[in-house]
Amino acid sequence: MLGAHDDLLLYEYDGAVDTAMPDAVVLPETTGDVAAVARFCHEHAVPIVPRGAGTGLSGGAIPVEGGVVMSFARMARILEIDVANMRAVVQPGVINLHLSTAAAPHGLHFVPDPSSQKACTLGGNVAENSGGPHTLAYGVTTNHVTGLEIVLSDGTIVRLGGKAIEDEGYDLVGTFVGSEGTLGIVTEITVKLTPLPEEKRTLMAAFATMDAASETVSAIIAAGIVPSAIEMMDQLATEAVEAAVHAGYPLDADGILLVEVDGARDGLDEVRARIEAICREHGATTIRLASTALERDRLWAGRKGAFAAMGRLSPDYYVQDGVIPRTRLPEVLRVVREAGARHQLRVANVFHAGDGNLHPLLLFDLREGPAALERAKTAGLEILTACVEAGGSLTGEHGIGMEKNCYMPLQFASADLAAMRRVKDAFDPPGLMNPGKVFPTPSRCREFSFSSAR
Amino acid sequence: MTATATRAVPADAAECARVLADAARDRQTVRVAGGMTKSYLGELRDTDIELRTTNLAGIVDHVPADLTVTVGAGTRIADLARALADAGQFLPLDPPHADAATVGGVIAANSNGFWRSRYGAVRDNLIGTRVALADGTVVRVGGRVVKNVAGYDLNKLVIGSLGTLGVIVEATFKVLPLATEADGIIARFARGSEAFAAAVALARAPARPEACVVERGPEGGWRLLIYAHGSGPMVRRALEDARREAAHRGADVTPLAHELAYLRELAAFATDGALVRASLPLAAQAPFADTAARLESLATLVADAAGGVVRAHLRGDDDTVIRDAEALLLASRVVGGTGRVERRAEALRPRLGAWPMRPAGDFLMRRIKDAFDPAGILEPGRSAIG
Repeated sequence: MLGAHDDLLLYEYDGAVDTAMPDAVVLPETTGDVAAVARFCHEHAVPIVPRGAGTGLSGGAIPVEGGVVMSFARMARILEIDVANMRAVVQPGVINLHLSTAAAPHGLHFVPDPSSQKACTLGGNVAENSGGPHTLAYGVTTNHVTGLEIVLSDGTIVRLGGKAIEDEGYDLVGTFVGSEGTLGIVTEITVKLTPLPEEKRTLMAAFATMDAASETVSAIIAAGIVPSAIEMMDQLATEAVEAAVHAGYPLDADGILLVEVDGARDGLDEVRARIEAICREHGATTIRLASTALERDRLWAGRKGAFAAMGRLSPDYYVQDGVIPRTRLPEVLRVVREAGARHQLRVANVFHAGDGNLHPLLLFDLREGPAALERAKTAGLEILTACVEAGGSLTGEHGIGMEKNCYMPLQFASADLAAMRRVKDAFDPPGLMNPGKVFPTPSRCREFSFSSAR
Repeated sequence: MTATATRAVPADAAECARVLADAARDRQTVRVAGGMTKSYLGELRDTDIELRTTNLAGIVDHVPADLTVTVGAGTRIADLARALADAGQFLPLDPPHADAATVGGVIAANSNGFWRSRYGAVRDNLIGTRVALADGTVVRVGGRVVKNVAGYDLNKLVIGSLGTLGVIVEATFKVLPLATEADGIIARFARGSEAFAAAVALARAPARPEACVVERGPEGGWRLLIYAHGSGPMVRRALEDARREAAHRGADVTPLAHELAYLRELAAFATDGALVRASLPLAAQAPFADTAARLESLATLVADAAGGVVRAHLRGDDDTVIRDAEALLLASRVVGGTGRVERRAEALRPRLGAWPMRPAGDFLMRRIKDAFDPAGILEPGRSAIG
C-alpha cells in the first residue's frame, strides 16, 4: 500500500485531461487481497477505483471522489494459454500485447488491439470494452470474453462464465464488460483466442479531400467487402505522423485511408484489387500496397503512433471519441472542422472510419491558461452533439468515465439511465465502485441541462 | 397452457408498456409471445395475460450502406431475411424455427443455429433494442451504430432473459453483404473423437466455414457436415481443407444437400423424450459425446462443433430418459460447461426440470430481476433463476 504524497501523485492522472488525488493506493497480489481491501472499504464507506495501466482516455482511473486506487501491476500473470479450447486465462494486469505475443507460437491471438496495446492492460480492456482498428471485422472486447472472476464492493467473489461460449441465466459477463469499473473489480479474465490470419493485404490510398476519402469508405462497404480495418487520417495528422515515424504517407493529401483485408490467402488479392479500383474511381491520388511485412508494419506504425505524434503539433490535445453511422461521415467531419474553426483550435483527425468511430484531436496549449482547455471541451461537446444527432454515440471505445458523464442525457432519456442505475445498484448497492463515473452527478453536472435529444 | 389467459396485442411500444404497467399494478402475470415457436423452453406456468408482439412488426429503418437494420420485435426472421436479401444483405444468424420465429423471440431465447463461430451469436450481432418495462417506461438500450460503449450494455441482459425483465419491442442488428457462393460436404467417421478433431481443426483454419456440425444419428456412426459460404476462392479453399482433414482421419466424403436445415430444427422435432443442450469448452465435446453415445436412450446428437454447443435427444421410457438426461447434465458440469433440458415431453415436466443448477452469480441475477420487475409479473418461474 502506498500513502506518501509523492507516491500518490503518480496515480493522480491517466490518459485523459482530468486529475484527482487518491487517499491511498493498494497493489493487491491475489484475489484474496482484493476481497480483503474491498471488505475494508465497504466497512468504512471508502470508494474503490480499479486501475490498469492508466492509459484510458475518459478519466476512468481517476479517483474523482477520493478513496483507494487499486493498481493491478502485481496481478499481471498469464495463467493459462489453453490451445485446445482456444482460450486464455489471465490476471487483469496483463498487458494486451503480451497476451497476443504469448499466443502467437500457437497461431492464435487476442483480437482487440487498441492503439495503446503495448501498455494497456486486459483488466482495463474489460472495464472499457476496448476496441482498436481490427474490431471492424472481428469485434470488440465484449465479443472475446467468456469468463470473469469479479470482486464486488462488499468483498464477495463471484465467478461468471468460463471457457464455454455461454453460461445459463442472464449474461452477466456481457453486462460487466464495459462497465468502467463501476460494477465491481475484475480479478481474472477468460478470453477467446482467435486464429491468426493466414495472410494480409494492406494498402494506403491518398485523396485530395476528406469527402472523397469518406465516400470511398462507404463505397467499399457497399461493394460487399468487409475489410478487417479501414482507418482514416487527415492532412494535419499525416504531417505529425510523418515527422514522428516516417510512415511514408504523402504530405499533400487531405485524406488518407489505410485499408486491410485478411484471412485465408485464397481470393485475398482479388479483394485487394477491388478495393484499389474503388479507391481509384473515387479519385485516389496515390495508392501504395504493402508487399512485405516490414512495409505493412511501417504503414501501421503511422496509424498506431498517431496520438503520440501529436506532441509535435501542439503541447496539449484533447481527443474525442464519437460514433456515427458511417454514411454520415462527410457531413459530420464538416461539423468537426467548423467546431475547430469556431473555437480557434487546430483539429487533426485520425480514426476508425470503417465503423464510423471518429477521433478528432483538438489541439491546444495549456500554457495559454485554463481557457484553452475549456475551448477544447466546448468544441468537443459540439462535435459529440452532432454525433448523437446523426444517430450515433458519445463514445465508441474510450468510455464515458468522468469526461462525458454529464453528457449522458444527450444520448439517453431519464428512463434509459434509470434502467442502467438499477443494474449499478444490483452489483454495488453502497455505490463505492468508481463513483462519479458514467452516471451524471448532481455536483459536477449542474451546468449541463440538456433537454433530452430524443 | 394458457387457455384462460387474456390476450393483449399492443399496437405500439407505448401501448405495450401500458399493458405491463397495468398488469404490474393489478399483480397480473404476463407471458410474452412472438411466433410461439419456443413455448417448450424453460418452466411454464399459467399466466393471466398473454402479450403478443404480432403488431410490433415491420422494418423501421434499413440503411444498406451502414450495414445495420432496425426492426419491430414481432417481425418474423423469415420476413426480415427476405427484405434484406432484396438489398443484397443478410442477418448473420440462423436460428431454428426460422419460418415462424420472430426477432424478439430469437433475442429473448438467445436462439442460435450453426453460424456462431463464423459470425457470432445474437449477442455479437445485436447492437440496440427498445424494451418496454414493467414500470410503464420504454427504454432504449445500445443504439444504431456498430460501435458504442456509452453506458452499460443492457442488450446483454435482454438476450436470453426469456421475457423476465421486459418486452423487447424493437431491435437493431448488424447485417452483412450476401455472399456469392456456397458448397458443403459430409464426412463419415468411425469414431466421434475423430469427427470432433476434424471439426475443431477446421474451426481454427484460415478459411472459416459457416457451419461445422457433428451428428450421430439413430443408426449410429458419426458425420461431420461442413458448409462454406463466401467468395468462390474462399469456399473452394474451405472445402479443400475440410476434405484434407477428413481424408487424414480416414473418413468417406459425399456432397452436402439439405441436411443442415433438418439438423438445425432438432428442437422442433424432439417432441418426445428429452432434449439436453450443453455449452462446453471445445475440447470437451468429444468426451461428452462419447458419454452420450453410451446412453441407452440417445437417439440423435447434434453439435455446433466450432462453437461447443451439443444437443442430445433422448428417447425411451420415462425413467431411462430422466436417468440419462441427469447423467448428461452432470457430465456437462464435470467438463467445465453448463447444461439445460431444452425441451421435454409434457409428461416429463414434473420430474425433469429445465434448469438443473442455479447459475453462477444467481444472487446478482435475482437482484436485477427484482429491480426490473418488482411485482414479479413477467414470465414467473420461467428462467434459470426462477
